[in-house]
Amino acid sequence: MDLSDNVLIIGSGVAGMEASLMLSKAGKKVTLVEKLSLIGGKTIKNEETYPNMDCSTCLVAPIQQEILQDGNINVLTSSVVEAITGDAGNFKVTISKKAGYVDLVACLGCGMCYPVCPVELINEWEENLTNKKAIYVPCAGALPNVPVINAEKCLQLNGTEICNKCVEACMFGAINMGEKDEQIDLNVGAILVATGYDMLDVSSITDLGYGKYQGVYTAMEFERLFAANGPTEGKLVMRDGEKIPSSIAIIHCVGRSQTHYCSNVCCMASSKHAHFLHHKLPDAKIYNIYSDVCLPDKTYQKFHEDVKAHSSKFIYQADRDKMKINEENEQLKVEYLDNNNKDAFIQVDMVILANALKSAEGSDDLKNVLGIDHDKFGFVEAQPFRIGSVATSKSGIFVAGCAEGPKDIQNSIIQSEAAVAQIMSFLNG
Amino acid sequence: MSEKIGIYVCECGPNISSKVDIEKIMQELAELEDFQDKELIIKNHKLLCSVEGKKFLENEINENNLTHLVCAACSPRDHDTTFVNVCKKTKLNPYMYQIVNIREHCAWIIPDKDEATSKAIRIIHSGMDRVLYQQPLEEKQLDSNPDVLIIGGGIAGMEAALTLASKDRAVYLIEKSEKLGGKSAILKELLPRQGVTMNILRQKISDVQSNRYIKVFTNAELDSIVGFLGNFEIVIKGLKDTNNTTELLAGAVIVATGFDLTDVSSLDSYNIKKEDEVYNAIEIEKMLSESGKITMRNGSQPEKVALIHCVGRSEVGYCSKTCCDYLLKIAKLIKDQSATIEVTELYKHMCLPNKHDEVFYELVQEKGVELIKIKNANVTGTTIDFTDISDAKKKLDVDMIIVGTAMIPASGTAELGVELKIDQHETGFFQEAHLKINPVSTNTDGVFVVGGAHGPAGISESMLQAQAAAGKIFTQLIPGQKIIPEVKVSEILEAYCTGCQTCLEVCGFGAIYFDEDKGISVVNEAICRGCGNCVGSCPSGSIRTRHFTNPQIYQEVKEALR
Repeated sequence: MDLSDNVLIIGSGVAGMEASLMLSKAGKKVTLVEKLSLIGGKTIKNEETYPNMDCSTCLVAPIQQEILQDGNINVLTSSVVEAITGDAGNFKVTISKKAGYVDLVACLGCGMCYPVCPVELINEWEENLTNKKAIYVPCAGALPNVPVINAEKCLQLNGTEICNKCVEACMFGAINMGEKDEQIDLNVGAILVATGYDMLDVSSITDLGYGKYQGVYTAMEFERLFAANGPTEGKLVMRDGEKIPSSIAIIHCVGRSQTHYCSNVCCMASSKHAHFLHHKLPDAKIYNIYSDVCLPDKTYQKFHEDVKAHSSKFIYQADRDKMKINEENEQLKVEYLDNNNKDAFIQVDMVILANALKSAEGSDDLKNVLGIDHDKFGFVEAQPFRIGSVATSKSGIFVAGCAEGPKDIQNSIIQSEAAVAQIMSFLNG
Repeated sequence: MSEKIGIYVCECGPNISSKVDIEKIMQELAELEDFQDKELIIKNHKLLCSVEGKKFLENEINENNLTHLVCAACSPRDHDTTFVNVCKKTKLNPYMYQIVNIREHCAWIIPDKDEATSKAIRIIHSGMDRVLYQQPLEEKQLDSNPDVLIIGGGIAGMEAALTLASKDRAVYLIEKSEKLGGKSAILKELLPRQGVTMNILRQKISDVQSNRYIKVFTNAELDSIVGFLGNFEIVIKGLKDTNNTTELLAGAVIVATGFDLTDVSSLDSYNIKKEDEVYNAIEIEKMLSESGKITMRNGSQPEKVALIHCVGRSEVGYCSKTCCDYLLKIAKLIKDQSATIEVTELYKHMCLPNKHDEVFYELVQEKGVELIKIKNANVTGTTIDFTDISDAKKKLDVDMIIVGTAMIPASGTAELGVELKIDQHETGFFQEAHLKINPVSTNTDGVFVVGGAHGPAGISESMLQAQAAAGKIFTQLIPGQKIIPEVKVSEILEAYCTGCQTCLEVCGFGAIYFDEDKGISVVNEAICRGCGNCVGSCPSGSIRTRHFTNPQIYQEVKEALR
């Protein structure tokens, strides 16, 4: 068996980045594949991380920079793994990389190309809360700080008209409309799946009014609303761009009855959101509606108690499936079953739904490509015996972070470091 | 050799050149009065970080025999490393170079071009003043020992040992008690999931014992340790025969000393006293694994059992996160023993943070276990008066009470922390280097903390942390690879040190020790990270951090504040 010293890492969130840097330090050649045009994963969507309120960018940006400057790490953004053949120790991997039409070396990220683009698109990375151009970086501070062009929407590339305005605006000749999608073939000895998570779509839980009422937000939408580099530059205004909420209800465990697992991070994230709100809007009334509170770290309860004492009123609801949210008198009426199983309600301007984490979009396809087992929830199942393991059902393929199940940043990193140990040991023969 | 300072102004394409007057900058720098006696080479370049720009800079340094270099460009976060790497290819020591950020600090934030230009001139001037006071520094290379000491032979310590040994690392595993296995060895079942049996644990113990890379010392504990990543000198002592000491050398240490359970009688929670029929989870596990069933002290099977969660949680100030899961497991085992036993669990918050927990929780409910969310409870004997979530006051009479008590740091944690120079969190568990992004490392390089010593952790999590520490060691401590310690470290000027030892207290890395013979403090350069805490605290001003000396900083701010 040809034991190659090359490792493929799929997903560039905190788990994928940590493993990349560690393996590089040990002299391995790493190919880091990321489906988006920027690296950093979901962590960079957060303004601050609980419980110490560390600025996320300050935590992650140095890691991102190190990755991009590391000679042992080949970062392939806008890329997905298409096919894998071969066996542990010698996988042949086919990756398809979408053309970004901007040269990574020549572009300095000066941003002169976006204002001239005539096309307005919804910015999905910003949870649809703002627009972007057909040539864009998803957010300020994105790394690599190099825009990409949406070929389907770009007037030049989709053949609507001769536009080329961005090409003319670029002083470095960095934009190349002739760039083609690429297919990249690699040989690697081991693979790490670190594809993270996505949030459960809550519009299907119709009682909660998400998508119907303007005042109902998901937790991730709220994160972007709070972020200094987000759509409102951190100003807490509602969708109309004017109204500042004076009462907010944060609902825990949204979608838990559908997923049949606790998403691990939402109680702390919801406590953090109450803390954010209280500090930005000291006069606002804040409620957290919960059934059980899950605080799985030695540092968490203290923060939670502090939020409970100073920032938010915690209200117990007896049955999370009985909640109803409706608009009434220009406010949102949140109806729930109280501790006596009786109907109760509060009226608020804004609702934040702490929705469940689920396996990342596209993980079913990846599962088929890699030929690894998933659990009944759609997460990668670690083998054997489901305990203390980062190995998957297929030899040579490992898993770390939320690809394996919902978890916080530190536990994602712990799994990633554990996967590095297993990969190092595995490649040793 | 006379000073020859190269100043290179990067235009960053139009990013800098369109917002500041490059020509004016170069002209004014050339005319600086305080530099008239120095040889200056001032040039601009379209893009210094480009391949061509780096080659240009390299040639300039070599051909002009520069003694000092200033790059006026972008944020050091973007390209400081780039220019340091250019220096490394030349005759110029990289510590004789300084970057000045005229893009983020001038071009991008000041709309008025004259104002931006004048600030750029001033901060480049600062950089020139500073660089003249810089001194060449050399990296040191130290040999390292790849072997590892593991303290604690529970599931975490064993997992770390096996992972390290799988890559042929020599491991010394020391365990206080007579045998390996730790708390896990007491359990009836390893985890409440199908297929996870004690066989796994037994297999691990035998794998550790038979592995030729692992040397196990039972009945032994750490006596003393000195050193740093790559070079620790360790003495262990036998607990039965304290004169029996062994000296070891290792490059890294993994602390896996586990946890204890709070003693119920020390707690106010629910007024629980250690009565005849009150048991903690470990006692129940022992009972189950020895006899396969639970019995009261009179030998008969209880008809009614209550399990109380969160005992001691409010006292310790954190959730122990494994207790809900294991109390559910015990409830299921009791129901398996006899479906007629009435089992009630009283809990405040059901904490089920792992993806398979909730399904198990549903299964336990199907088995007929009654789960009651409470606000408070008061226990008298085996009678529980409690207030449920609806504020109703209720009474529960049972034959047996099982308490899920909080996990606390193992005894001896504080002493071990002092010996290893690692910090404790306010909860008493060891503190990670960074809670979020460096969770198994500590403030001392080369010392890692895993399992219950790190905080409440289940078996699976402890095993993952153990593997993570092994992963860190595989990639930080590579056989044959030299350790390069930080260059910008503190140094203590012997003549001025009064021996007050203030610096020892403020050093977070244990890098300073007191030399009794000379009566002065001494910095261990292999451990120091150059944070500068000691510099600020020294009452006699006898400490300086290399590359951040007072004259260097003074020169830099002098011009900026003029």
